[in-house]
Amino acid sequence: MTRFVRPAFLGLLGLVWLTPIYLIVVNASRLPSEYSSRSVWKPAFGPDLWQNMTDAWERADLSASALSTAIYSVLGPLIAVLIGAAVGFAIVALRLPHGFFWFVLVFGGTIFPLQMILMPLFVGYAETGLYNTRLGLILVYTVIAVPFSAFVMRNFFSGIARHVFEAAVVDGATTWRIFWRIYLPMSASALVAIFILQATFIWNDLLLGLTLSQSSDVRPLMPALTALQSTYGGSAMPTVLAGGLLVSLPTVVLFLATQRIFSRGLALGQF
Amino acid sequence: MTLLRQPERAATSALPAPRARSTYRWSAWGFTAPGVLIVAVLLYLPFLWTTYLSFTRYNGLGAPEWLGLANYEQMFSDPALLTSLRNTALWVVGTIVVPVGLGLLIAVLTYDMRFGSWFRLPFLIPYAISGVAVGIIWSFVLQTDGALSQALSFLGLPGSDSRWLLDAPLNTFVMIGAAAWQASGVNALLFVIGLQSIPKEPVEAARVDGASGVRLFRSILWPMLRPLTTVVIGLSIVASLKTFDIVWVMTEGGPGRSSETLAVTMYRETFVRTEYGLGAAISVFLTVVTLIASITYLRRQLSERRAV
Repeated sequence: MTRFVRPAFLGLLGLVWLTPIYLIVVNASRLPSEYSSRSVWKPAFGPDLWQNMTDAWERADLSASALSTAIYSVLGPLIAVLIGAAVGFAIVALRLPHGFFWFVLVFGGTIFPLQMILMPLFVGYAETGLYNTRLGLILVYTVIAVPFSAFVMRNFFSGIARHVFEAAVVDGATTWRIFWRIYLPMSASALVAIFILQATFIWNDLLLGLTLSQSSDVRPLMPALTALQSTYGGSAMPTVLAGGLLVSLPTVVLFLATQRIFSRGLALGQF
Repeated sequence: MTLLRQPERAATSALPAPRARSTYRWSAWGFTAPGVLIVAVLLYLPFLWTTYLSFTRYNGLGAPEWLGLANYEQMFSDPALLTSLRNTALWVVGTIVVPVGLGLLIAVLTYDMRFGSWFRLPFLIPYAISGVAVGIIWSFVLQTDGALSQALSFLGLPGSDSRWLLDAPLNTFVMIGAAAWQASGVNALLFVIGLQSIPKEPVEAARVDGASGVRLFRSILWPMLRPLTTVVIGLSIVASLKTFDIVWVMTEGGPGRSSETLAVTMYRETFVRTEYGLGAAISVFLTVVTLIASITYLRRQLSERRAV
């Protein structure tokens, strides 16, 4: 008896959890002209979903945003992972003097809420010409990912045996070569885990994009999507829902495909 | 900080020590500098400036005018800001109770079950969706007379005439629900990692002694999960204090300013009303509360290095 209660309960709760996704898919699959708030539960699926996605893509000018966001989500974490790994390498392998102090300094950057940097960055970016530029956003997305990367990579490098480093030194390798050719390849799994976590975070970011950009070619996807919602939320609901679905697909697919690496990343950062 | 373990490894070094040390010192600096510089310029400098501005009146033009603690006094007397404080408190409590509680429940029910990861999948999908998309989904579901209301009236349940997003504090409660929809799965995942690392012997011993279900959970699993629970609760508090995306998309803090959280109020005061000083004071207050909430799990993060 109890053998069936548990799966039944979990299955039911799981169905409840998926209901909003069902509602989004069916209502994004109706043309705005056929949409009625009275029949939101009625099943629907088909080519009209594609039509609505194309519509959202064009109306919100998402192609430029999507390109920018892809650049931010790849470059930001990539640079951050390298910078963070370099810090970890200096502290663990090269035994940087007062390494723990510098580690806490870098890691401390992650403890404060983003609200603390929004306004100074807004003003500073406006004065230096970085406001509303892709360079400015790459910079800010890199820096917010650095503390976490440094944290994970320092932990990871501490697990690499000391004699690996010493053997390389005896062989005459420079520190740069040891970092680039030995330590980084050895920690590929951790680097990938950090990269995926941070790329997802940046893809989904609203606040920084909203604050530091304006034009449709620089602005990331999430601010563009909020703009789409506030403009068409009343008149063309299916278009907005299709847009929401469209921009969510990459991260959902990435997450489902890399679930194991993802939870490993969480465990590496001790969440 | 002094808790950090520093394993003695130098003794086995095969290197001629003095020369090596000076060589590595320079290159160690070279490896550290980019990280330290970028964090100092783009994070710490702004922190300091925000802290300074929180004691001033400033609208981005001219020079900041020193006010002392006036912004902080306003934070605790202005009705809109008091509402925002109250809502943020609701978010913190709601986030501890619902997604952490649900996450724990799902984890305990699935961690030792066949196909457990498949049963967890529906809860994990919302986690990969952005806060903005979650907001869009739920503003649709929660429209007045929308999907939820229709479902309630179809099932004969009360509440179908609720104006979910238009009445305070109901709008804050349902938005906490939307956030819980997103966050429960990842909490479950974290608890599963914890539960699977609990040694088998005490659990088996308790089972042999006839403990099962609630009893097994209370006497064995819960005490052993305690350290992890601290971390999950700490993280949830920190995340809930910063709640912005979902509220911004679903209500923009309205109607009026009835559903603002501190993060939304900070954004509105700073970028809509150009009250930079007041916005800065809210940021500083958020930081102080966040730091207090983080201490428990930060001590853990910085004190021990766990095998993964």
